Amino acid sequence: MNRHSWTIARAWLAAVAAMAAHSALHAEPYLAVQQGYRCAACHASATGGGLRTEFGNLYAQNVLPAHRLDLGEESWTGSVSKFVALGGNLRGGWTGASIEGQDSSSEFDVTEGRIYLQVQPIPGRLALYVDERVAPGAADNLEAYAKYTHAPQQWFVRVGKFYLPFGLRLEDDSAFTRQMPGLSMTTPDTGVEAGWESEQWSAQLAVSNGSGGGPETDDGKRVTGQLVYVQPVWRLGAAASHNSSDAGDRTGYALFGGVRTGPIAWLGEFDFVTDDGFSTGTRDLMSGLLEANWQPRQGHNAKLTGEWLDPDADVDEDEQVRWSLVYEYSPIPFLQLRGGARLYDGIPQNALQNREEYFVELHGYF
Amino acid sequence: MGGLALCLLLAGCAGSGEGLDANGRPLDEGGGGTVPLTPDLASIQANVFTPVCAPCHSGAGAPQGLQLDAENSYAALVGVPSSEVPGLLRVEPGEPDSSYLVQKLEGRASVGARMPLGQPALPEATILVIRQWIQDGALPDSAGSAAALSPFAVKAVSASASVIAVAFDRPPDASLVSPATVELRAAASPATSPAIGTVLEVSRHNDSLLLIEPAAPLAPGSYELTLRGSGPVALADWSAGVLDGDGDGRPGGDHVATFDIVEAP
Repeated sequence: MNRHSWTIARAWLAAVAAMAAHSALHAEPYLAVQQGYRCAACHASATGGGLRTEFGNLYAQNVLPAHRLDLGEESWTGSVSKFVALGGNLRGGWTGASIEGQDSSSEFDVTEGRIYLQVQPIPGRLALYVDERVAPGAADNLEAYAKYTHAPQQWFVRVGKFYLPFGLRLEDDSAFTRQMPGLSMTTPDTGVEAGWESEQWSAQLAVSNGSGGGPETDDGKRVTGQLVYVQPVWRLGAAASHNSSDAGDRTGYALFGGVRTGPIAWLGEFDFVTDDGFSTGTRDLMSGLLEANWQPRQGHNAKLTGEWLDPDADVDEDEQVRWSLVYEYSPIPFLQLRGGARLYDGIPQNALQNREEYFVELHGYF
Repeated sequence: MGGLALCLLLAGCAGSGEGLDANGRPLDEGGGGTVPLTPDLASIQANVFTPVCAPCHSGAGAPQGLQLDAENSYAALVGVPSSEVPGLLRVEPGEPDSSYLVQKLEGRASVGARMPLGQPALPEATILVIRQWIQDGALPDSAGSAAALSPFAVKAVSASASVIAVAFDRPPDASLVSPATVELRAAASPATSPAIGTVLEVSRHNDSLLLIEPAAPLAPGSYELTLRGSGPVALADWSAGVLDGDGDGRPGGDHVATFDIVEAP
C-alpha cells in the first residue's frame, strides 16, 4: 500500500473516530443521528431502509415537513390492520450529466418505485416481509424474508433475502462507500441473520450466499457482522464481512459513525476491502465518506458530502474524489423535493471519473 | 471545525494519473490504453467493460457474480444465462435485441435498473457498436483475423458538387459510418467552420464505395473531408480493423482529403 493512501486512510479513520467520540456536543442515517434514534425506531429493518414503522410514519408527518397537515384520525401510519402494514417510495425527476468529449445528456426518469408489505400473523413476534421494486421496468424482488422476534423484542432471526448489514445505509447507492464494498440496496443476499437490539446497541450477524444478489454457484458463503453503539448525540459502528467464493476471497471492514452539533448532523464512514479475485492479483481498496447535514429550518436540509476512493492501494495516483451538494425540501408530509449536483474528480485521462451530474427529484413515500 | 476537516481531507486527494492508463491501471500492467471504439471484444473491453463496468463488476464481490474485467468478460457474457432473467442469455451471438446485456444498457430489461448503475447511460453510438459486435457473432477476439489482412485503407476520393465518392480497399462496417466518423467542412478554416450536412450511404452496387451527398450542392470553393481512424468512434472494416487513415501501415489516424469544386452545378 502506498504512503499517500495510508496517510489519507489514517486521516479518515481519525475523523470518523473523533466524530463519534465528540460526546460533549448536543444530541436515512442523518435523521437517526439528528434524533438519536436507532434505525429500527423508524424502519421495520434493524439496519434501516424499507418499510417504515408506525413511529416512522408519524415522524414523517409531524417532524419532517415544513407544513403539517391536519389529517385528523385519517393520518397514515402504515398499519392497514393489526396484522398488515404497507409502505412505498417513488422517486422520479430529471438528471443531467456532463462528460468531457461527449455531448451533454439529460433525461426525465422514474428512478425507483418500491412497495413494502409486512404481514404479522403473530404481531410483534412473527413477520413475513416483502420489498418489491415495481419501477422502472417489471417487478423485481429485493427483499423477502420471514422474521421471528423473541418476546422481549431484543433478539430476532430472519431467513430469506435481505440487505446485508455493513456501514451506513445511505439512500445513494452510487456513493463510493456503498459501491466499493459492493453492499448496498441494489445487492441483497439470501441467507440467515440473527440480531440483537437494545436501547444503546444494535448488532447483526448474517450468513449468506455471497453471490452479489445472483444465484449461488459454489459452496462458499459470506459472513457479515455489524455492531453499532447509539447515544443521543453520537454513534459509532463497526462492520466486517468475509466472502469466500470460487472467484476468490473478499474481506471488508467498515468503521462508521455520526454526531449532532446543533443544527448539523455529521456522518462519517471508512471502508477497507481486500479482494484476491482480481486477475492481476490481490487488491486492497479503500473508500471514505464525510457528510454534513444542515437543517436551517424545519422541512429543509442541505447536504454536503465529500467522498474518497482508492481503487487499488498499491497503485499511486489513481484516487478519486466526489463532492455532492444536495438540498432537500419536505413541504408537506410524505413528500420531498430534492435537487443537487455531484462533481467527480479522478485521473485526468478518464473523462468518466471527471464528470458532473445534476438532478432534480420528487420523492413521494408512505 | 468539521467542515474544515472535510475540506482538508479531500483537497488534492484525486490522483494525478501519472504512470497510469485511462483505466487507472499501471502502464506496465498492459491491457489498457486508448483505442478507437470498434465492434470487437478487445475494443469494447478497453472502452466500455473495463472503464465503465469493471469498477463494480470485478473481483470476488462482483454483483450477480458477473465479472467484466478483461480476463473474465467473454466467459461471463457469451452464451451465459442471465441471473436476473434466466430465460435470456447475457449475450446471444447474432441476436442483439434478445441479448440481456443490450437490454440492460438500453434500459428496457424487465428486471432491475439500467446499467451502468448510478452513471449516465452509455451514448447511443457506443451501444450500437456493442450491438454490432453481437450481430457479428460476438467473437472472442478478432485480432488474429485482422492482423492477417493489410490495414483497412482509403484507395481514392473523387468529388463533384452533388456527391463525393470514397473508395475503400474493402467494405467498411456500415454501422460505423456516421457524421461522427465522416466530416465535410469548408477548407478555408476547417477548425472553426461548421460541418456540412450530408447523407451517407454505402453504395448498393459496390459495398467498398461510400457515397457522401451534401444536403445542398456544394458551392465553388475548397473543401476538406475527414474520415476518422482515431477518436472515440472510428471507421473500420467488418473484421473490426480500424482505418489506417494516416497511411503509416498501421490501423489508426484520420484520412484527410482536400478537394476543390470549381464551378457551380
